[in-house]
Amino acid sequence: MYASYLNSLLEAFSRRMGLVLIGFALMWAVVFNLLVHFIPLKDGSSMVYLAQRMMGPGSLAQPALLGIGAEITGGLFWMLLSILAAAPLLSSTLDRGWLELTLSKGTARWRVFLGRYLGGCTLYLASVVIACMPLEVRFWWKTGIGPWPLLVAMLIQTFIFASLLSLAALAAVPQMGPAPPILLSLMVAILSPVLAARKIGLYQILTSNWSRELIDWMYRILPKTQELQGASTIFIRDRAIQSWYPFWSTGIFMAVMIALALWLLHRKSL
Amino acid sequence: MTSPAIETTDLGKVYRTLTGKYVPALNGVSLRVERGTVFGLLGPNGAGKTTLLKILLGLAQPTSGSARLLDSNPGNTAMRRKIGYLPESMRIPDYMRANRFMWYMGRLNRVPAKVLKKRIPELLERVSLGGVKKPVKAYSKGMQQRLGLAQAMLNDPELLFLDEPTDGLDPVGRKEVRDLVQHLRKEGKTIFLNSHMLSEVELVCDHVVILNQGLVARAATPEEFTRGTGEYQVRVAEVSDAVRAAAATIATTGEWRGTTLHFKPRDRAQLNELLDKLRGVPVEIESIEPVKFSLEQFFMQVVSGGNS
Repeated sequence: MYASYLNSLLEAFSRRMGLVLIGFALMWAVVFNLLVHFIPLKDGSSMVYLAQRMMGPGSLAQPALLGIGAEITGGLFWMLLSILAAAPLLSSTLDRGWLELTLSKGTARWRVFLGRYLGGCTLYLASVVIACMPLEVRFWWKTGIGPWPLLVAMLIQTFIFASLLSLAALAAVPQMGPAPPILLSLMVAILSPVLAARKIGLYQILTSNWSRELIDWMYRILPKTQELQGASTIFIRDRAIQSWYPFWSTGIFMAVMIALALWLLHRKSL
Repeated sequence: MTSPAIETTDLGKVYRTLTGKYVPALNGVSLRVERGTVFGLLGPNGAGKTTLLKILLGLAQPTSGSARLLDSNPGNTAMRRKIGYLPESMRIPDYMRANRFMWYMGRLNRVPAKVLKKRIPELLERVSLGGVKKPVKAYSKGMQQRLGLAQAMLNDPELLFLDEPTDGLDPVGRKEVRDLVQHLRKEGKTIFLNSHMLSEVELVCDHVVILNQGLVARAATPEEFTRGTGEYQVRVAEVSDAVRAAAATIATTGEWRGTTLHFKPRDRAQLNELLDKLRGVPVEIESIEPVKFSLEQFFMQVVSGGNS
């Protein structure tokens, strides 16, 4: 599995979308760092500015600024870029002419596939680390505020991405190229906030009981990307998780998708 | 008695199309490949060769029957580490370079990193790719084929599946592959060769199976396939009326093509009688050759439904 994992990373960084994602993360890190200034005060502490706007002392500015960063990296655009970069890693495993080489070797199919799935998740995590960590390191250096809330937030965001990529994994098994995995994951990424706000949105259009029940079930089953994204930014500020429901329900979704993908792949005549 | 390298019993495979139609690809294939031999699999397109190969490599599941490779099931990953495979239409991703590709293939077969460090340059050198630095996407078809061969040997396999190994190679490359196969046989490896190059199969294989419409149509050694037809070609220095007349007294059904008489004698005595008559003319006899089937002729006869 480790060989497959490493190879997926090599492939990710050889693909244009992988480079775009990492390039975008680097660009964000540079711009964000250039905008943030630390002005030393007489008492030895620092005042933090975002461009011309005073954000307050480090203890106040750190959660606010890193929260902005986390909202960007956990936002739809970043997820879109990451799915475009990572989903083809799964579908390419089953490319004709390549699968005969890799899946006839002495490593079980599920290990090869899971290795590539984990490679995709790592690609996303790498982009988030590149985008957010430089600023966090500056805060740590200037104010002594440690990075662990941001690290937890980044793990939560990777969890969101992993749940979307698990759907891409399942959609890659029928060997119909990279389009179905990309489209399905994107669809869920777009749908999830709509479902989270269904009571003030969809309920206005869907008035029948059965349609509302259907929407509620969709919400219960699909990943709660909106709530998890909120949880990650709140954790940076409050260092606490308010509700575990989005975590375990999304975790179940992810585990079922992955298990189903690996089981179907195991049984599949290639 | 040692167990065979490959044994299949009534192996069947039926594919289901999107419209729900069932298409049989294999209809009960039973074959046995002994260890240390070179086995040739022949058959026209659509005969079921690729399906058979996929089942043996654990890539597809049979619908009926069973297969055993090196005393294990085809899906056994530990057993697959003792197998090498060169696919027919291999597609190596564009970003790969030979060393990285070989490394990945080796690691998938759990070949230790230390062994790979030594074996990869050796094998690349052996297939004349040592020192080639360009990415695999810039390789010619022949170079890719050589690289495929090198990766198939990376884990020092006991059993090697070669699917059209000379595809895309020039005559020198083809000769090198033949020599390699002979060399591997000497090392005691079992080789399963799937090729359309019948002349090559004839040259290197110990045993040949012709698959047709999902069934084993014929199984024999190349010698058995290319046995004599009973006909002889007698070539003389020159043909005169006297020579024709002398031949006609014995070879009543014979046919002259230039200076060669094609004749199917009743027995050796009749052949000797003909030779005596010709010498009596007199005429110089340049050669006498028994006419043999070529594997190609035999193959064509089998796939067109003839009985040999």
